[in-house]
Amino acid sequence: MIRFSKFTLENGLRILVHEDRSTPLIALNILYNVGSKDEDPKMTGFAHLFEHLMFGGSVNIPDYDTPLQMAGGENNAFTNNDITNYYLTLPAGNIETGLWLESDRMLGLDFSQKNLDTQKNVVIEEYNQRYLNQPYGDAILNLRPLAYSIHPYRWPTIGMDISHIERARLEKVREFFFSHYAPNNAILSMAGNISGKEAYELVKKWFGHIEKREIRKRELPAEPVQKEERKLILDKDLPADAIYKAWHTVSRMDSDFHTLDLITDLLAGGESGRLNTKLVRELKMFSEINAFITSDVDPGLLIIQGKLMKDVNFADAEEALAEITGNLANENGLTDEMEKVKNKFESSAVFSNTSILNKAYSLCSYELIGDAELINHEVEKYRSVDAGMVSKAALQYLTVTNCSSLYYKSTRNN
Amino acid sequence: MNNLYREQPPVLPVGNVKIPEAQAIKLINGIPVFLIESGTEDIIRLEFTFIAGQVREKSALIASTTNMMLTEGSEYHKAEEINRMLDFYGAFISLSLEKDRAGIVIYLLSKHLQRILELSREILFSPAFPESELETLLKKRLRWFLVNREKVQNIAMDQFFESVFGMSHPYGRQVKEDDFAKIDPTMLKEFHEQNYTSSNMAIIISGRPPANTTDLLEKHFCDLPEFICRGNEEIPKPKGENNRKIHIARQGALQTAIRIGSATINKRHPDYPGLKILDTILGGYFGSRLMKNIREDKGYTYGVNSLVTSFDLSGYKVISTEVSARNSRNAVEEIYNEIDRLRNEPVGESELELVRNYMSGEMLRMFDGPFALAESFRAAWEFGLNNDYYYRLAEKIRTISPDEISELAREYYNIDELYQVTAGVE
Repeated sequence: MIRFSKFTLENGLRILVHEDRSTPLIALNILYNVGSKDEDPKMTGFAHLFEHLMFGGSVNIPDYDTPLQMAGGENNAFTNNDITNYYLTLPAGNIETGLWLESDRMLGLDFSQKNLDTQKNVVIEEYNQRYLNQPYGDAILNLRPLAYSIHPYRWPTIGMDISHIERARLEKVREFFFSHYAPNNAILSMAGNISGKEAYELVKKWFGHIEKREIRKRELPAEPVQKEERKLILDKDLPADAIYKAWHTVSRMDSDFHTLDLITDLLAGGESGRLNTKLVRELKMFSEINAFITSDVDPGLLIIQGKLMKDVNFADAEEALAEITGNLANENGLTDEMEKVKNKFESSAVFSNTSILNKAYSLCSYELIGDAELINHEVEKYRSVDAGMVSKAALQYLTVTNCSSLYYKSTRNN
Repeated sequence: MNNLYREQPPVLPVGNVKIPEAQAIKLINGIPVFLIESGTEDIIRLEFTFIAGQVREKSALIASTTNMMLTEGSEYHKAEEINRMLDFYGAFISLSLEKDRAGIVIYLLSKHLQRILELSREILFSPAFPESELETLLKKRLRWFLVNREKVQNIAMDQFFESVFGMSHPYGRQVKEDDFAKIDPTMLKEFHEQNYTSSNMAIIISGRPPANTTDLLEKHFCDLPEFICRGNEEIPKPKGENNRKIHIARQGALQTAIRIGSATINKRHPDYPGLKILDTILGGYFGSRLMKNIREDKGYTYGVNSLVTSFDLSGYKVISTEVSARNSRNAVEEIYNEIDRLRNEPVGESELELVRNYMSGEMLRMFDGPFALAESFRAAWEFGLNNDYYYRLAEKIRTISPDEISELAREYYNIDELYQVTAGVE
């Protein structure tokens, strides 16, 4: 049970505070409700590039990192399709340094052309390092546009194409800031050695005078229902064949979300998951196989991805895989196995509460999808899933016509 | 807007780290146990560690395969059953293999300690090394190996260890494709019998263990045979290869991986805390000189870092980065420039203060929560050190002078002695 207090400032900034006196530190998390889905299709990768620029200096502070390190702090940030999230930890006595830094960059940015140019290069190297210069690293860049035809989830956070990053201009960056970065578009949380009241007073002091801003209205095109199976086969200079399959599912807020997430755990949760037991251990068709659900705010995907063993062909591998996913539709007596995956959800939830950073982020993340209090109800939701719900969801979502398949065919003879 | 409010808040000195002492006990057969009570949740991090790392193996893959086979079937249960039980209790197991040590770490809810100890006993001391599971594991690992060999960062790192510690020393030996065909169950059984023994092991428990933890440990581990002296032969000190500059060509690579460093002192040496500080200035945090120069000023890379770390028989330091192929020469040159600067110019007071404060904060993070506490405890204990090591480090962070840093740089960063490994296009 995570106890927390909640406040809202007049400018719309929401504040969540979890007091944990067992640590000398405080974790501070700020979530901005802006992600790569808010980008112009001709300028993708922008939200993420922007995250880099947030460290390049703000109205009153030329350099973000130095004062934070001087106060004994450490920080980082990430961007995904839905959000941009900034977080730091500090010795409790120096928390105001963190609030000073974060409020100043919410107030306004002030970075140079040189800074923009450098960060473009850094992001291009990140693109290379994570996606292009890794075997199989570009699979997600090919899978998304296959699965989504119009929704902005069709491009990855890093961007659809490097040229979009190369073309980013200073005035566009400014425009992006004022239409998305604002107290009324952010959620702030603290977890650690501080009381709710102290935290509220400090946040009010540093953020209270930042004015509300007009946020660009989000009008995302809904992805039309997929009516037929999609396949893409690519020849690749890689050591082994690989399969990626994606089914359209639901939003994180949907009542089917927990059932679908639990399905991926039946399939691939832990070493004893069904895919691993059958396809890796018993049939020896895959060297590794995994299943997961993208926890997106808009309807997301259920993805199964695996690498084939030598001398196994795609057709046989897919047939064996289809038998396992097909069996989900006539589930009945799987009590022990259901209990197993539910226990795992419970213990994961407890483990994640051992870190103040996790707690701070989770509070913001649940608040974004409706209510921070959801943090204390996740386990019950998984507990309430039964075999009937599993088979119903499998029948509804894991269909052939709802599926997009990407095949990486190795051109090597090994 | 009231500008008064925007003045930088005063920075309070970061308080001294307070490290809870581990409670050391011995089971009746002599197995050392360390209990670290901490945290707010009813969870446990349970570690069994053995001197059973790569340093103990005669040829490649034996230590790692023995370790990975622990959960592949025992005298009493098949692999599927073991994994299902671990998953059923919501436990997360991580098989851990390092150069010197190997073992398992299990994260569990405190209420399941009894069942997990029972299962750990079986996993650690009654593995069956079934042939068919071994065959599958080796095939799988060969596929993973082939994929990993595509990555320039792995190619460069493996070569770096070979160059620095020698191709025939277990610290430096590289795995080759045909090594996978050489492993058989007998080799693993023998390795297990010699190295996974009560005299070679320790148990580290952190979090909120139940009151009867010691009794449970006695119950499950006291009947293991006591110390049997089998005269472990001395492992020779590693010795670096002669060629200090190696490039491995990878056509079409978009990035070049760079590794520059050498063998060095380990944690037992009195200069080690100072070397840690020097390393932090060079490349050990986001504000480091290498990061500022190569990423934040020139944009050659997504990240660059340096590291100094300890093995039982040696230590090493390495600077690592992946840079765009066209900038690799410039990046290498800048790395040497930064080392030169540290050797020849005293660090300025403001930079030093920054590093002192950052590292003091880092020390708080190193002991925050049950997982971090156990990891930090082990990192000193395995070198025969205790919390004094961390208090010495904290003291050094507060007091080191610019001259001392330059002296350390001149002593430990001699450019002629560094190895330079690159992997990428010509």
